[in-house]
Formats: sequence, structure tokens, C-alpha cells
Amino acid sequence: MKRWKVIGGLTLSAALVAAAPTAAMAQGAPKLVGKTTGVTLNFMIASSGTAETNADRAAAAAWGKQTGNKVNVINSSNLTLQLTEGFAGGSPPDVFYGETPLFESMAKQGQLLDSGNLIATPSSFFPSLVDAYTYNHTFYCVPKDSSTLAIEINTADWKAAGLTNANLPTTWAKLAYDAKVLTKGKTTGLVISDTLDRLGAFFAEAGGSYMNASRTGFTFDSPQNLEALTYLAGLAKAGYLKFPEQVDATWGGEALGDGSAAMTVEGNWIIGAMQSTYPKVSYEVVPMPAGPTGKHGTLVFTNCWGIAASSKYTAADVSFVKYLASPAQQLRFANAFGVMPSRPSVATQWAAEHTTPVASGPTGTPNVSPFVQGDAYAMPQVATIGFPTVQNAFDSAILGLANGSSKPKQMLSELQTNAEALLQP
Amino acid sequence: MATVSHGEEPVTTAGDLEVERLSPSAPRPERPPSPPRRRRSGLHRGENLFGWLFVSPSLTLLLLFLVAPIILALYISFTNWSGLTSPTSSAVKWVGLQNYRTIITQPGLYQTNFGSAIRNNFYFVIFTVPLQTIFALWLAVLVNNRFLRGRQFFRTAYYFPSITSSIAITTIFIFLFQGSGVVNTILGWFGIKGPNWLYDQQGIFWDFFGFFGLTSPPAWANHMVLGISLWDWIAGPSVGMCFIIILAVFTTSGTFMLFFLAALQNISEELDEASEIDGATGWQRFRRVTLPMLRPALVLVLTLGFISTWQIFDQIFLTASNPTVITPAYLSYQVSFTDSAFGVGAAVAFLLFCLIVFLTVLQRGFIKEDLTQ
Repeated sequence: MKRWKVIGGLTLSAALVAAAPTAAMAQGAPKLVGKTTGVTLNFMIASSGTAETNADRAAAAAWGKQTGNKVNVINSSNLTLQLTEGFAGGSPPDVFYGETPLFESMAKQGQLLDSGNLIATPSSFFPSLVDAYTYNHTFYCVPKDSSTLAIEINTADWKAAGLTNANLPTTWAKLAYDAKVLTKGKTTGLVISDTLDRLGAFFAEAGGSYMNASRTGFTFDSPQNLEALTYLAGLAKAGYLKFPEQVDATWGGEALGDGSAAMTVEGNWIIGAMQSTYPKVSYEVVPMPAGPTGKHGTLVFTNCWGIAASSKYTAADVSFVKYLASPAQQLRFANAFGVMPSRPSVATQWAAEHTTPVASGPTGTPNVSPFVQGDAYAMPQVATIGFPTVQNAFDSAILGLANGSSKPKQMLSELQTNAEALLQP
Repeated sequence: MATVSHGEEPVTTAGDLEVERLSPSAPRPERPPSPPRRRRSGLHRGENLFGWLFVSPSLTLLLLFLVAPIILALYISFTNWSGLTSPTSSAVKWVGLQNYRTIITQPGLYQTNFGSAIRNNFYFVIFTVPLQTIFALWLAVLVNNRFLRGRQFFRTAYYFPSITSSIAITTIFIFLFQGSGVVNTILGWFGIKGPNWLYDQQGIFWDFFGFFGLTSPPAWANHMVLGISLWDWIAGPSVGMCFIIILAVFTTSGTFMLFFLAALQNISEELDEASEIDGATGWQRFRRVTLPMLRPALVLVLTLGFISTWQIFDQIFLTASNPTVITPAYLSYQVSFTDSAFGVGAAVAFLLFCLIVFLTVLQRGFIKEDLTQ
């Protein structure tokens, strides 16, 4: 019986080996295959909410109708997981959000069609965004949009505390003062998610950075970053800055919406989230403060339209992405859920339409120009393979800043050591 | 009753029955014991084949979904597969024991995470298994009481958590144990300020040491084993892990209660009454009569308990933001899917497998199932 089990197992393994497809390698200018009409494409997204899903569905339906194709929109709950599953199984989605952590792995292993130049010339997009999706001097995928961080302030709490425009948090000192004044009762002045993806904005403001200019080494353990983290630790110890876990929220937007935060630091996505979940809360958006040397800084998050190199309908995929990345469609996306277009021309147009400093809520979206301004000096995320685990280790120590069990210097040096270990082959 | 002499006791086969049918009164000739499998004739022809036929569906499923993936995972643990291609493609390199070295011997984040995971799971096991066994036994003894009214209701009520989805229960527990949630509000009535259950990383043994004045690690405790210091190793379960322990005990006690209940109902009441007549108190009766007879059930519950607690994943997946709650099973998933390092993830999984096998063998050595062994 046991012998049969072993033989049976080996036979099955052999069968699996024989049936395994090989990965398609893209070399040179990619050849596009497949029909351009009458095909069904699989389009995988990772939506931030109903607004984004509906916008994607509408775009897919419109293009499908225009070209006589059909698009299946798959909203994944865990994009990294589902993309990995698709690629490993040999049947990835045709078009998908090519998010930053997976981008380098996908490009390196030839899973991504280098479609950038086929869709549009790189100069029609913000240079920093094109940079984020260029690997080995190849512009792999077209950036779809970008979001930067800014401060959102609950206007009711602001007015109730007697603060005016002169108190707007334009510097670190003013931010600390505002957080102190706005902390009363159940409301904390400032609530920021405990992740490098928010606190890193302060690193940039202090003059620090994640990587050096040539992107060959990490610069986490620098005096400027330490200054930023110490500033935040001070606020946290005093109780003017809290992290969402301390106020029973899952992210800053939720804390702002349910009243446990007067201010928070979040990106463009907060617009759609507040409109759908907390429509009665009115808030305004102001730019991130300037650091001790007067430097402005924030973080930029971006995504791209990825096309699978092994897709059977790459010609149709390219046509679909051309439609999605077109100026008109980018404007539609921006209006639907608040992300900033990746084309500078469209971005300025969108910002111009939304500069009236009207508070949000039932009357409409807030002034979005702080987000657009941020694009000029924003710092991108780290895209090195294996960085999520390193970031996780740093993030889990942030909560300890509130009671002093985590020390900023130690956190940064551990982050530096762990990140450097990734660069060793 | 017919007496049959020892030497003539035959192994009954189809042939024997036929002989008996033909001549029941004739003395049966001496026949050496026949081999167990003989060529069947008549009614039993093809029995073998049908046996295989009936077993083949589940055997195929087992091979396809259990054996083949395990062999493939073992192969992957010796490669650098990133999950974005087929594991058998030419892009995947054989790296031998490198993945194992990364998590055991090479100093770095992976080693620290692995050491942490083993420590977390170890404390989880030594707290959960005794608690859930004792709790399940206590519930079984309560429900087994002849004079208890509404036994059926209580049995169902205690068993209910085991049949409810673990994800649903975990979500409700997370809601109840929030910083300002129900549990902390109730503790507040007694003047106790409850901790932020899910996110607190403070090891409870550290608090215990604090009572004796030991608040910072002594010099010897800074020595690193598997990437974390000895002071961290003796930290005990964190408050976050205590939350998981409470959750696990609540969920699995019902199942084990049923095992104990079945075993308890096999013990005849006369035995209990006899010992009562002999003057044994309730506790003596329980300890000297009931408990030894529950030995097989106890061994089963302990073995199942150890094996399942070392593999815990569902609850950890939903409360993953606390690093003192990460277990090897969850670490394997995390490393594989967020870092695309499936080789390391598979290595973690196989090390966990070896650990469980080793501990189970150890446990069987300590607690023998049959007293006569």
C-alpha cells in the first residue's frame, strides 16, 4: 500500500512537471498578439472602495462597448496574493494594477509586458512616476495615477478650539501646538497610522530620505530621520499624537470620521472614503508642514497599468490600457475617487477645477491643491524585493513610541541593518 | 458448547465452510493454518478489485491534494522560487540548504522572525493545551451528571463554538477585546484598567519578574539564541497572545468535551457506586476511578491539542499586526506571499513539521496510552 502511494505520488509529480507551462520572456520591442475585437479580457484591480470599483467597471464597460470586447473586472481582496497565484498557475489576468512591491519581481522575471512606450511617450507623465516603473532602463508600465499625503483637519473641532488661519500647521512647531490644543476629551489632536508609509513624510521634511540618489543604498539611519522620529516620539509620549490602535480605529481616516481624531495624515483616497462612509463630517485639506530647515516633504503612492507578457490578447490589452490612460479617462477617475492624474496637464486641469476652499461634506470635495502641490517634492516608496517584511518589523515597533518602550535610534538602526541585508545577493 | 481441542482450531476460510457444509458430522481433518490471502472463489471473486475501486476516489484526492503538494513543497524549500513562474520552470534555481540556513543560522530578520514565531507558539502551546484539556474535562464531568436538568441544552451550548466558523468568532472577539470594548468596560467596573489586548506586546512573565524588582534584563539574558535575546525568550506570552489563548480555549473546549463525554459515558455507574460505598469521597472517586479510565481519551485530547496548537493560523491571520502573536504557520504564509520568498516559507513549514513530529513522539513516550505497556 505504502509502495503504491510512493509510486503514485511520483507519477503525479512527473505529470505536473510535464504539464507546467514556461514563462514567456519579453525581449526587445514586444510583439503584440491576438485579436483586437470579440475577445474577453480579465482585469484585476485592488479597489480602495465602492467609488473606485464603480469607476473601473464603467471604464471597462465603455471600452468594451467601443471595441466590441468584453472585460471581466475582478476586484481582489489581496492583490499580491492573487497576482502571484495567477502567475504561478500560468494564467494571470491580462491587465492588472501593477503595484510597487511586486513590480520589480515581475519585471525581473519577464512577467510584465514592457508596454510603456507603446501606450504613450514617457514625457507625457510626471518624471518621478515614470521612474518608479522603469526597471533596467525599460519603461514597463504606464503609471495610472498618484496620491500624496496631506493633513486633513476636522473643521468643526478646529473652530471649536478657537484656531484660525494663522494657526494652520505649516511648521512642526505649529503642528505640535495644534495637536495639543485639539486634544480634549475623547478626541486626540493628531492620529497617524503607525506605518513608515505615513511617518516617512516627516523624514522627507527633516531632509532625510529612504535611499541615496543613485538608489544603490539605504539611508534610513541618518541624523535627519532621527530628528523626525524623535519629534514624533515626543508628540506620542505627550498624548497629542496617537496611533489608530490606541483609539480603536484601523486607519487615520476612520479616526477622523468617528471623531476620535481632529487631524490626520492621509492621501487622496480619503476623499472617496469620507464621502461614502462619513458624509456628514466636514474637513479641510492642508499641505504637510515644513521641517526644521524649511523643507517641504511628503510621500507619493502610485500604481501602474500592468499587462501580462504571457497574455493571449496583448494587442487588445494595449488598446484597453491606451483608453484607461487617456487624458479624458484620467479626469473621470480623478473626479470619481480623488486620485491625481499621472499626466501633468490633466493634473493641473483637475486641481484648477477643485481649488475653491470649500469644506467637504454634503457640499462636495475639499480643496485638493495640497495633494497636487505635494507631487513636486514627494518621496516615492521603496520598491526593493523583500522590503515589506523589513517595513513590517519597523511598523510593529512604532506603537511602542507612545509608552517609551521603543527607542527611535534603535528603530532606525535596525531598519537600516535589515534593509541593507536585502541588497546583498 | 462444543469443545474443540487446541490443535484443531482452524482459520476459517471459504474452503473450510464448504467442507463443513458437505459433511458436518465427519471429523475435520487436520489442516495447517492457511495463508490469509487465498484465491477466492464464487461469491468472493473480485472482492479485492472492488475494494480498491471504492477506496480509489478518496485515495486520488489524498494523493493529489495532500501527498503531491507536500512533495512539491519539500522540493520548493530547496529552491529560490518567487511564486511568479511555475515552480518547475528554468528560472527557478536549486539552492540546497540555503533557505534553512537563512532561518536558523544566518543572523538577520528572517532568523529573528523565526525565533520569535517559535517562542510565541511555544508559550501558546504550554498555556492552551492544559487549559483546554482541563476546561473540556470539567465541562464533560458537569454535563455527564445524571441529575442535571437540561443536559442536552448545555451539551449543545458548550459545543456550539466548535461548529461556528473560527473567522466569525475571532472577529467578534476582536470587537469585544478592543481598547475601549466590552471586556475592558467590565474590567473597569472592578477598577482594573484593561490593556489594549490585541496590540500589547508586553510579555506577562516580565510583569511577574517586575514584582520581584527585576525590570531590566540581567547581563546573561542578553545572549542571542535564534536571533532573539534570552530575555525575550523568557518573556512569556504577551497580552496579545493571551487574547489568542483565551480565544483558542473558548473555541476548542467544546470538541474535546465531546471526546471526554463519550469516554465518561463508557464508565459504568456501578463502578462509581461501588467506590462510593467503599467510602471514597467525590474527589477521590474522580482521581482514582474516573481519571485512570479516561486515560485513552486524555491521550487523544492531548495529542490532538499539541498538534493543532502548533499549527494555529486562522486567528493569527486576523490579528496579525502584533509581532508577539506571529506563529510559524503564519510566518510561512507571510514570507511566501508578501516577500515572494516561497523557498523560505516552505523551509519554515517543514521545520515546523519536524518539530511537531518530534514533540509528538516525545509526548507519546511520556504519556503512555495503556497502563499495561
